[in-house]
Amino acid sequence: MKGLADYFFSKGSFWDTIGMFYQSAVFIYGTTLLMAYALLAIMSLISIRRYMKKNASIDYNIIVESPLAPGISVIAPAYNEGITIISNVRSLLTFNYPKFEVIIINDGSTDDTLEKLVTEFELVHVDYAFREKLNSEPIKRIFKSTNRAYDKLIVVDKVNGKSKADASNAGINISSYEYFLCTDVDCILDKDTLIKLIKPFMDEETTKIKEVGEPCVECGYVHIQEDNRKVIATGATLRMVNSCEVDEGLMIRVRPPQRLLPRFQEMEYIRAFVLGKMGWDLINAVPNVSGGLGMFDKEIAVKAGGYDSKSFGEDMDLITRMCCFMKDNKRKYSVKYVPVTLCWTEGPTTLKVFGRQRSRWGRGIAQIMSIHRKVIFNPRYGRLGLIVFPYNFLFELLAPMIEFTGILFYIYLILTRQINWPFAIILVIFVYTYSVMITTLALLWDQITFKYYKTWGETIGLCLMAFIEPFIYHPLIVFFAIKGYFNFITGRQHTWGNMQRQGFGMQKKKSTANAG
Amino acid sequence: MANILVIEDDDIMLKAIRNILGKDGYNLITAKDGKEAFEKLDGGEYDVVVTDLMMPYANGLEVVSRLRSDETKRNVGIIVISSVGNEETITEAFRLGADDYLKKPIMAGELLIRIRKLLANKNSKSQLVTKKK
Amino acid sequence: MWKDLADLLFQAYEQFSLLPLFIEIALAFIFIAILSTLIAYSAILYRRYKGYVYDKRLAFISPKIEDLITEQVLLNPNLGKDLPIEDIEFDQEALNDKIYRKPFVRQMMIDTLIQYRKNFRGEVGELLRKLYIDMGLEKDSFAKMKTLRWERKIKAVVELTQMDISISDVTILPLTNSGNPALRAAARNAYIQLSKNEPFKFFDIATEPLLPWDQLEMFKIITTTKDIAIPNFSRWVSYSTNKSIVSFCLKLIAHYDQQSAIPAVMDLLANKDHYYRADAINCLGKLSAEVAEEKLVKIYNNQPLNCQIEILKALGRIASGKQLEFLKSEFLYSSNFDIRMNAARSIIKHNTQNSRMMVEELMEMTHEENQLIIKHCLNPLIKY
Repeated sequence: MKGLADYFFSKGSFWDTIGMFYQSAVFIYGTTLLMAYALLAIMSLISIRRYMKKNASIDYNIIVESPLAPGISVIAPAYNEGITIISNVRSLLTFNYPKFEVIIINDGSTDDTLEKLVTEFELVHVDYAFREKLNSEPIKRIFKSTNRAYDKLIVVDKVNGKSKADASNAGINISSYEYFLCTDVDCILDKDTLIKLIKPFMDEETTKIKEVGEPCVECGYVHIQEDNRKVIATGATLRMVNSCEVDEGLMIRVRPPQRLLPRFQEMEYIRAFVLGKMGWDLINAVPNVSGGLGMFDKEIAVKAGGYDSKSFGEDMDLITRMCCFMKDNKRKYSVKYVPVTLCWTEGPTTLKVFGRQRSRWGRGIAQIMSIHRKVIFNPRYGRLGLIVFPYNFLFELLAPMIEFTGILFYIYLILTRQINWPFAIILVIFVYTYSVMITTLALLWDQITFKYYKTWGETIGLCLMAFIEPFIYHPLIVFFAIKGYFNFITGRQHTWGNMQRQGFGMQKKKSTANAG
Repeated sequence: MANILVIEDDDIMLKAIRNILGKDGYNLITAKDGKEAFEKLDGGEYDVVVTDLMMPYANGLEVVSRLRSDETKRNVGIIVISSVGNEETITEAFRLGADDYLKKPIMAGELLIRIRKLLANKNSKSQLVTKKK
Repeated sequence: MWKDLADLLFQAYEQFSLLPLFIEIALAFIFIAILSTLIAYSAILYRRYKGYVYDKRLAFISPKIEDLITEQVLLNPNLGKDLPIEDIEFDQEALNDKIYRKPFVRQMMIDTLIQYRKNFRGEVGELLRKLYIDMGLEKDSFAKMKTLRWERKIKAVVELTQMDISISDVTILPLTNSGNPALRAAARNAYIQLSKNEPFKFFDIATEPLLPWDQLEMFKIITTTKDIAIPNFSRWVSYSTNKSIVSFCLKLIAHYDQQSAIPAVMDLLANKDHYYRADAINCLGKLSAEVAEEKLVKIYNNQPLNCQIEILKALGRIASGKQLEFLKSEFLYSSNFDIRMNAARSIIKHNTQNSRMMVEELMEMTHEENQLIIKHCLNPLIKY
């Protein structure tokens, strides 16, 4: 500590001390953050290797032939997806799984999404009785196919609720199985998605119980409740579909995006999923199951209140509430991640759409931290209160702000000529090399599970993005996150941005051209 | 010689079936997913179709349903081969009009016999039709 | 020269130690970060190179293996002649090819054979097994059994099980209670399939739970292994203290329609665990246990919702017709949607003159939501 102390007291003035204090605080904060990343990298490596070892000799097909396979409802909201709806629904119907239904929620589309579905799948309107367990805008009609080949399909026509949460809730109300998979209709899913995501649910014992209280006066039984660690949700890695070859909703060839913005996102997603989620998975502290792909235990999700249509981060909000529900009822739970990519989604290609998405995310996390503030540092909520929330608060929510003020401080130092250039440069190099290392490690771990990219050029090409990320991509993220916080504080109305789809129709042509 | 369309997305199984049926000298056409299957179905005439259930693009039940709803292809014999063993799926396949359902692992001899039977039935039926005329 | 270098290093260290602590830390991390990044890059490239080599070998070898299996097994001229499988000989020259001595190729051969076995049983399946033995591949699998790494052990157990090669009880029984869930599951499956005298012995001694995924595997093995003596599973329903075994046995009882187990299953209705009771009620329904009907209706009012719904379902499956009035009153007067839904479905499931008349009658007398429920249940397009 000699160095630090020297540094502190060598300069005299009060403001200098404050400045130094700030600088040291930021340094300690930064170092802790970087340490946390290093720890996550190690944890995720362990967790990925464990997954690979455990699953090497597992025959996943066994569930396909088994009459004991649990049922899964696939819920996919669609809003103005007329261009791609048919092929995407077709691909959802071809999952490798024996017992599932596909619920497409037409969320008040203004184009021909519904008409297309009706003609293609020979749909008729049916009288469908269901209980409204979760709030959503009213459902107008429900359709089923007269062709038995499509008897897994249910199409729900509903009044637009301006959010994915609202549409998903309607889907959950209709669903009849005990698990549900939430996705977007335009996501490209692997055909083994259901098998891979249901597996963690089936790896926990389900027969342990504990007794609660005295025998009940009414029924004479002692009340009992499940005492096993219940898996309440599972998720998997997402990637960008932008430059992949897709044919009628089927992934033909995976390729990292060629355009700069989605390419950065691919790298960021791999880092967030492979390094982040898998790392947290090891200590059972997964903070979130992404909205693009996640499987949930319906009972718990419904009891926790389903999706909140007012939330800007409805996916994380749901997981948080499900975890809180389990903790409030003194039950053990876990949220699991599998390190394989099962879902490809379209990343925004223009700065405008990207900015809107990220501001929304920023606003979402601020909102969650404020709604669930009772959780943070609350030992009653176990890992959720002592690990997940503090981490997210300190290093997800505060990071952009601290970075932003840090930059302002630096500018101030430069302007007042107080800066110690050699030290400043060393610090910048430190942060830079470290961030490159973390990203590169994430990409390396990703290679362990599966060789997604065909050529080494593609792989290295993506790795090299780590070198320019801190200059181009990172500032954007910080800027949009802060914009999101600003919106949160000022409570500005946010119009639910329906992402402009490029439409896979174009890619389809491309791929057939390649094939021919 | 009888034309048989084999639809199966597993390479190993597709090759194996081709080899086994080839012994009996049938004229074999193969498709490795739903899309290819529909193309081949539209572009040719078949006496028997052997199909898997879970495949990319379209599942086997769609293949069955399409064959049965098409006037000209109504008489095509259909054998479903799948690892799916739950009762619902099997009855569904029969309801849609499959003639046979073989659960994997299959017996090669059984497949051959069933195909021969379907072909024999078909011939006797068409003979009946011509006689009536 | 070495001295110069040492001096230099020492001077550097001295300079370094004069720096403020946080700069020292930063410098150290810069060094670590650069080093790790370089290592990571080499690792990525190395993995890709290895993957490339593997793919190439695979592309070279797998057609050879497939040709061998096609020629020796699928197109074997002696198939279909009612010859005992043991008497069918392979072309030794093809089997003795040098290429099949390499460990990599042998492993691929095993994997491919297993793939084929998953698709074919009967004569072809038996012949695949014979090829596995004749090529001495079982020795490879047994060698893997002896390693200490659990994932290799699992692989060995799975291979031997798939190929139906018996493993001695001494080797396999201790593994059935292993602390490693994956190894435990593989060993149990192997034991059931391969132990010809008492395949279910470990049900008695199993202390570790049977996870849902293990149940899938075990269910498959029990229902597909031929010549397996199916015991009366009610034995474990009555005596086992391992709850997961009991609930698994309930599923097997339903699957094999073991009517003699009904009394034992009915005993479970007094169990305090309502998840358990629900399983038992479900099993009774699937057995169409008419004797249990009265008891189920009698306990109905004391049950939590999940058991009530199971009882309604069971009454629909038993469908004796005696409880139609009960179902009707539940349908009309329950305030719970799921109860009404299941009551309606069970009435319709009876599908008798009486039940059809009842449905018509209900349709006229009940309110709109209940009518919707009936329409829903009557619609053949809707499954649930």
